[in-house]
Amino acid sequence: MRLGRTQLAALVLCFSLACPVSQVLAGKKEKAATPADDSKRALHALNRLTFGPRPGDVQQVMAMGVDRWIDLQLHPEMIDDSALDTRLQPFRTLRMSDREIAEEFPNPQEINEVKNGKKPMPTDPVQRAIYGVQLARIEEKKELEEATSKVAKGSAADGGNPDSWAMTNKAPGAGAAGEENSASSGSGTMNSGANENWADTMTDRGGESPGATAPRKLTPEEKEQARISEEKLYRDLDVQQLPSLPPDERYKKIMSMSPAAQYVFANQLRGGKGEEFLRGLNPAQKETLMAMNNPVQPVMSELTQAKLLRAIYSQRQLEEVMTDFWFNHFNVFIDKGLDRMMVTSYERDVIRPHALGRFDDLLVATAKSPAMLFYLDNFMSVGPHSPQALGLPLHPGPYSRPNPPKRANGLNENYGRELLELHTVSVNGGYSQRDVTETAKVFTGWTIDKPAEGGGFKFDPRMHEPGPKFVMDHKIRPKGEEEGLELLHRLATSPQTAHFISLKLAQRFVSDDPPSSLVDRMSKTFLKKKGDIGEVLGTMFHSPEFWDDSAYRAKLKTPLEFVVSAVRASGANIDDALPLTRQIANMGMPLYGSQPPTGYSMKAETWVSSAALLNRMNFAVALANGKIKGVSLDLVKLAGNASPSPDAAAALLSLESSLVPGGVSQQTHDSILSQLQAKKKASPNTVAGLLLGSPEFQRR
Amino acid sequence: MSITRRIFICNGALAIVGTAAVPSFLARAAMGAAQAASGTKRLVVIFQRGAADGLNIVVPHAEPQYYAMRPSINIPRRSVIDLDGFFGLHPSLAPFQPLWAQRHLAIVHAAGSPDPTRSHFDAQDYMEAGTPGLKATEDGWLNRCLHDLPGRPQRSPFQAIAMGPSIPRILSGPEPAIAMNNINDFTVGGRNAKSSPVASAFEAMYDHSSDAVLHGTGEETFDAVKMLKSADPGKYKPAPGVEYPKGRFGDSLRQLAQLIKANLGVQVAFADIGGWDHHVNEGAVDGQIANVLREFSQSIAAFWKDLGDLGEDTVVVTMSEFGRTARENGNRGTDHGHANVMFVLGGPVRGGRVYGRWSELDQSQLYEGRDLALTTDFRQVLGEAVLRHVGNRNLSEVFPGYENKPAKFLHYLG
Repeated sequence: MRLGRTQLAALVLCFSLACPVSQVLAGKKEKAATPADDSKRALHALNRLTFGPRPGDVQQVMAMGVDRWIDLQLHPEMIDDSALDTRLQPFRTLRMSDREIAEEFPNPQEINEVKNGKKPMPTDPVQRAIYGVQLARIEEKKELEEATSKVAKGSAADGGNPDSWAMTNKAPGAGAAGEENSASSGSGTMNSGANENWADTMTDRGGESPGATAPRKLTPEEKEQARISEEKLYRDLDVQQLPSLPPDERYKKIMSMSPAAQYVFANQLRGGKGEEFLRGLNPAQKETLMAMNNPVQPVMSELTQAKLLRAIYSQRQLEEVMTDFWFNHFNVFIDKGLDRMMVTSYERDVIRPHALGRFDDLLVATAKSPAMLFYLDNFMSVGPHSPQALGLPLHPGPYSRPNPPKRANGLNENYGRELLELHTVSVNGGYSQRDVTETAKVFTGWTIDKPAEGGGFKFDPRMHEPGPKFVMDHKIRPKGEEEGLELLHRLATSPQTAHFISLKLAQRFVSDDPPSSLVDRMSKTFLKKKGDIGEVLGTMFHSPEFWDDSAYRAKLKTPLEFVVSAVRASGANIDDALPLTRQIANMGMPLYGSQPPTGYSMKAETWVSSAALLNRMNFAVALANGKIKGVSLDLVKLAGNASPSPDAAAALLSLESSLVPGGVSQQTHDSILSQLQAKKKASPNTVAGLLLGSPEFQRR
Repeated sequence: MSITRRIFICNGALAIVGTAAVPSFLARAAMGAAQAASGTKRLVVIFQRGAADGLNIVVPHAEPQYYAMRPSINIPRRSVIDLDGFFGLHPSLAPFQPLWAQRHLAIVHAAGSPDPTRSHFDAQDYMEAGTPGLKATEDGWLNRCLHDLPGRPQRSPFQAIAMGPSIPRILSGPEPAIAMNNINDFTVGGRNAKSSPVASAFEAMYDHSSDAVLHGTGEETFDAVKMLKSADPGKYKPAPGVEYPKGRFGDSLRQLAQLIKANLGVQVAFADIGGWDHHVNEGAVDGQIANVLREFSQSIAAFWKDLGDLGEDTVVVTMSEFGRTARENGNRGTDHGHANVMFVLGGPVRGGRVYGRWSELDQSQLYEGRDLALTTDFRQVLGEAVLRHVGNRNLSEVFPGYENKPAKFLHYLG
């Protein structure tokens, strides 16, 4: 960061202002440089090793002793986290494998297979409802495209266009048949008649050739459309009445609606809306209804909620911070295709178990994870001289797969490049474009077994580039999958990697521009202790640089850190974490939503912009006034008073000490106080909102 | 990040405040405002994220190879809007036709980034940083192009605007820039609040904070909020007959037009539109590409019409990270390619012409045997706008490592 020095000076000043009582300290440099008093030490440790102190945390850490508390955080297995486990219990998908998720929550490929008649419509009523809505959506989208393009062209579509023919043929069929059937049967599941209708549409569309003679009777079509829109009106009314029903009855009613009505219902949930339909339902019911809107939405929604709940409630705070750190370091983007159903296991099985373990293990785990293989395209990287690229025949045998023509038949350097640049030796790590290409060759064949079905890692020798490879002056002999493992191990133990990882850790835990003396010592530990991450952290936590006054409040909170720390500081209770996840997304940091492989920046300059500051202030005020749905807080209790203090200044001081344990500047204090006095009444909510939106609370 | 106190141009804002007590920030600005106000040159950059298929956007309809390579997704000659007997617009770009006829719209074909990457994020990163192949560049070229602009003592907080939730790569850097999702949400303590006590308290805290980073941004923010409130861009409805299509992109340009019309001192602006990555079922005259092109062209044409006379000082440039394969793939789509097409629209633009050298679609001419070869570096196109329109002569700073000789410009600006 460019203004390191100015900022440091400002911070020292800021801190001195924050402690008006102990003016003695302000001018005495020698005193400020020594380890500060216990409560400041405890607060600093909490600010860095956790997502922010909760009421009473500082006292607890002091009671235990800061060093002992840090050691405990480095050993999360010794910390009981059962309260969090209870909160996460309802989220079933958190415990599911990729395969189970793929089976239960269909992805577009699977839906397409049903659409094209390659797979039968599922028999399970829940699954049928999910597929039914998705199929209807596909049709609707086509219909819409068709309609708009007709309007735009000002004339009817070409008669020979297969798409347009399928559309006009389809409209009377699927939409109407579905609802008529269920209206008469009342049984609720999509009956076989409707199913055939879907199938017919698909077959026709696929067939194409008879298209030219298909009926294009415009007037009957218009009639049909009028009829459909009238029926739609009734369906809409039906759907609108749903929220007034008791939860169980509501769920049953939705599941027994016609596919067409289910489709209308599902549209109410688009874009994360329609909370009133989900209120009071049990988690499994919620999952089903969300899945009707978007089959993978329950998976992504539970994962993002769990991330917030963990950050807020886990006792193993350092493990959560480090899980977040490593996820960001080995970033994958949840909205890239099949990654939507792979990120749950990626974080659970790849990142978290190694968060405080060995870097080597973590690196190999990410390299083999379907989420990473898919995100950085390595699963489709093919050696230019591999058996597959050369079209060599498969070995005969009872289990041999057919050899379909593959679209991907070349090297994909995406993973190779990011492995070097972002995961290990970093951009200045001394590699060339040739090294990137050679690295990519090493990893050809590292692929996913049936990605759409949630298959795991597979080494496919047919995709692997034969021959030796040379990466950064090192010769890797041909030995298939082992080549990748050899290279990963070399990278994981390289001094450049040790330095890069140490630097990133210090940037997260100490300051945007950490002292090189510290980074060097951390790198030494990294190399000496064979990439033991806990040891590297230990070196940092026990360094003078970590405790130096220049590091105090030196970090600007990211949106995630800001929101979570505000919730923790206010002691709020979370009934529903989804609204909070949306707040974080609005601040430009959607959870699991960093598209580029770099992950999110941990530096101040990224997160300081006008819109971002306004978002923070508005969030703080909304949170304190109970305007964030799903979050409840008791400020009176927090302020430690039975009733709001009539004395504005006293109320302010009391909230200051509980919400911002490090204190606020005189300026902040006076600004709030003058507002309070102008209004002549001390609304603790307003005060809390101002404190959480203050400059001091933006730092940790 | 610079932390100096910033003041800004706002003659429009002053006029609107009228008889109300003039806030000090406006009074401060009033002195330098008059001379700097009008004639602000604006550059609007539009990014088509996802690699648009330039060959189906500005179609080389006189090339038999084009039809041979795209048997199922070509735009038939009878459907293209012919431009010059060789190139033609996709029919969904009909809203561009009058702009072309009025010579406000120019086209640069076979343009783009010379970097061979076919990775979306790398290629976007390079084009936004303005340094193909170099990832270490910290800031974006659109930010750098405002740096040390001559004859510009005062800067508006609205000098650089990105329509979106955060500052994109192209605008990141030391020059202050504002990201805006929705101009109505750019406030503290609720919409329409005249003087919310909450807002005043926050302002007092940040204005005098000793926290250098937050103080600077906070101050800018509150200036911008007040300026926006005074200027009240919401009252600038689209001009009569102007209709923006529904959707994020149309919304972005509609709001951008409001900010420009409210005379807030916008000099550079950025908006993006996604939905171009058509690996499967791209469509041709109809279908996916037709739909996104319709939204694209209707929005831009509406923006142009909406700006009215302000268009005289405005240049709009479009870009996309790379083009797509010359041949269609096995899924009636196209894969990641190389060179692409850029549109340039504006008052000073010498439009009605396709600029750049056309390299044929003959196999021998294709880049790596599969893609349209690049004949114009995107920095050459942008460099001309930065130097001739924005007035930044220091092109080696805006596009470091690239020799950008004015003599080699395409001269699409009159």
